[in-house]
Formats: sequence, C-alpha cells, structure tokens
Amino acid sequence: MTLAYLLVFAAVLAVSYLIYITRQRTLQVRSDASLATRIQPIDIEAFRNLIDPAEREYLRLRLPGPEFRAVQRKRLRAMAAYVKTAGRNAELLIDIGEGALSASDPHAAEAARQLIDNALFLRRNARFALYRIRIALAWPDSGRAAVAILHGYERLNGSAMLLGRLQNPSAPVRISATS
Amino acid sequence: MLQAHSLLWHYLWLAPHLFTLVLVVLVLRTDFRRHYPFFCLYLTLASLEGLCLYALDISPKISPINWWRAFWGGIVLEGMLKFVLIGELLHHLLRSWPSIAKLGRNLVSGAGILLVFVAAIAAAFAAPDNAPWLVGSSHVLLQTIYLAAAGLIVSVFAVAAFFHIPWERPAFGIALGAGLVWCEHLALWALIAGGVVRNRTWVDFANMGTYHISVLIWYYYLLVPEKKRPSKTPPKDRSDDPPSDPPSASSSGAPQDHEETLNDWNRELERLIHQ
Repeated sequence: MTLAYLLVFAAVLAVSYLIYITRQRTLQVRSDASLATRIQPIDIEAFRNLIDPAEREYLRLRLPGPEFRAVQRKRLRAMAAYVKTAGRNAELLIDIGEGALSASDPHAAEAARQLIDNALFLRRNARFALYRIRIALAWPDSGRAAVAILHGYERLNGSAMLLGRLQNPSAPVRISATS
Repeated sequence: MLQAHSLLWHYLWLAPHLFTLVLVVLVLRTDFRRHYPFFCLYLTLASLEGLCLYALDISPKISPINWWRAFWGGIVLEGMLKFVLIGELLHHLLRSWPSIAKLGRNLVSGAGILLVFVAAIAAAFAAPDNAPWLVGSSHVLLQTIYLAAAGLIVSVFAVAAFFHIPWERPAFGIALGAGLVWCEHLALWALIAGGVVRNRTWVDFANMGTYHISVLIWYYYLLVPEKKRPSKTPPKDRSDDPPSDPPSASSSGAPQDHEETLNDWNRELERLIHQ
C-alpha cells in the first residue's frame, strides 16, 4: 500500500513538472524579442589565460604550496563564473536559433540549426566542466577542467555571428569580447 | 451522474476515441503521417480498441471474462506501441542535434533500465486480488506499463530541459498529452494494483476524462499553427556592457563596419584556435 502511495506521489510530481515545462515554454515564446540583448560577451582571451596549463604550472613553481592552492581556488572560481556565463549564453543562443529555424531563407535556417547544435554542445560541456571545476576546487592541483569549453565557445561564436549576420546585418550577435 | 452507463459515462468512453479518429483523418492529409507514423498508428489502434471494448461492454452476448480477455490483448498491443512512440519522440527531439544525440539517447536508455527494475519491484509488491487471474494481472500489467512509459516520457522531458534541447511543436504536444494521461493512469492503476481502490466507478471517469483532455491537447498542438517568433533581433545598445567589451566592437554603425569587425573577430579567433 505504501508503494502505491509512493507511485501516486511520483505521478503527481511528474504531472506538476510537465505543467511547469509547458508554462516555461509559453513564457519563452513571449519574451523572445529581448533574448539577444541578454547575451553577455565573454573575454575569451582572458578565459584562455585562466585555463592555460603553463600559467598554472608557473604559479605552482613560483608559489609555496598553501599559497598556490589558495590562488588556484580563486582562479577556479573565476573559471566557474566564465563557464556559467558561457552556459547561459548558449541557452540564449539556442532560443534565438529556435526562433530562426522556421525562417524562409534556407541559409538562415541552416545557420540557425548549426548554431543550436553548437550551443547544445557547449551547454553540455559547460555542465560537465562545472562539475569538474567543483571537484578541482577540492583538489586544486588538477587542471584542464574547462579546456573543452573554450573550443566549444570559439566554434559557437562563429555560428552566432553567422546567424546574426544572416538575420540582421546591422546587429550581429556577439558572444565574445577581448580586453 | 458518476455512474456506469450514465450519459456522461457513454460520452467519455466514446467521444475521445471518435475525436481521435477524426484527428487521424485530419493529420493523414498532411505531411505529418510521414514524420510520425507510429503516433498515427498508436492513435488509430487505441481508438479502435476503445470503440471495440465499448461495443463489447454494452453487448449482452459478451461474457465479462471475454471482455477482460479482449482488454488484456489491448493492453499488450497498446503497451508495445507506447514504447515505440516514446522512441519516435526521442528520435524527433535529438535527430537534428548530433552533438547531443548520443548522450541524450544513453540517458533515456539508462532511465529505462532503472524504470524496468522499479516496475518489477512494484509488480512484485502488488496486493493480492480475489478477482479472477485475468482481472488482477491486468491491473498489475497496467501499473507496470504506465510506470515505465510515464517514467520514460518524463525522462525525455528532463533530458530536453537539462540540456535546453528545443522541441518541435508536434513532438512537444504529443509528449505532453501522452505524459499527462500516462501519469494519471499510473497513479490510478497503482492505487488499484496496491489494493487501495477497488471497483470504484470514479476511476473510470478519471481515466476517461484525462484521456479526453489529452486528445484535446493533441488537437491543439497538431492542428493550431505555432505563433511566429520575431525573426530579427533588435539592435543592441552596448553602452551597458561589461568593461571587457571593447568600444571598438560596437554594433552600431554602417554594415561595412560590422563586416570589418566580424573579420577582425574571425582572424583573432583563428589565431587563438591555432595557438
């Protein structure tokens, strides 16, 4: 009997989740126009420096152990902030691409499809990289937590610019910035 | 009102199946049949099964045990089609996104294995029933099928939400309708198989009413066209960008300036990639 009640509880949770997903989808369609303005450009070169193994190795050789770990934790937190922003940008680009999938221009539709695929790949990598960064925070000597993110983000940047150029040449979508 | 063979009871049994057949006829005229062949098959068979069971139920020539035999056969056939339908929906969700397709399939397959274990445990702990074997076993079988099917469809939604995978409108509508009715059926068949509820007419009304709602959801998502989203993004005012954003990369100005900016960016990215 307990099992029956557990299954009923699970079913109620599942229905609530489905209703929540449907509600989110409806709201997403309504707020579509403001998506591009919510993209936060990332300084990709600063990010590249942050994840550079040579930089980490240099710090490890120059600093005493406890100090190196403290610095490395700060670097990892900064890395996590970059990765979170990259993941959020990927979400926004998926939404932008989704809106452009049904475009009458086949080039724009194909660019949108390519953008979404790249953004999904980046979002997946961002999720996994965040887990690895959290583990690395406990063990700061482990490196290369977010290298996959960098390559994914560079590929995504090209796709976003291409779609932005096809959709509206006067306002290309930018997701990266240099310092 | 909530009694077997009342007017509402007849309506709720017949109407969703008739509406479903009309929906099948309407979607068969379009390209939909080619994209969702198993959903069309599922709708057709589920409707015909429901109508046949109705005819058998009101016919005085059919004994209860024969009705339950027909019901059992329908459960098995429809149950198999449910899992094929979930596969079809997952295929539509992931087919355009090769970067995430394998991981998505593996996650849903993993959820499926887990659900089979949970369903087997739930079936093993089902309350004993004094009713004939055919009746009791159909309750447990229904609980097992709906536990696996509802769990799988929710896991498909969870994977899509976790990775932010965009849904096609028809696939979303089909999954939503199926998910709602399967979750509701899971709850009620779990109560019946667990011995909490037995021989209550309101269960039939709840099941038939929820299926009716699902059919209406399918009508909405398959026949009402999607609202077009604005295809152009508004020009962005970069004045409130973070400090890392260089003024030289502003998006305002003539198109040739943007072209030059894009070229600068591509050159810089190429340099970074091949560093």
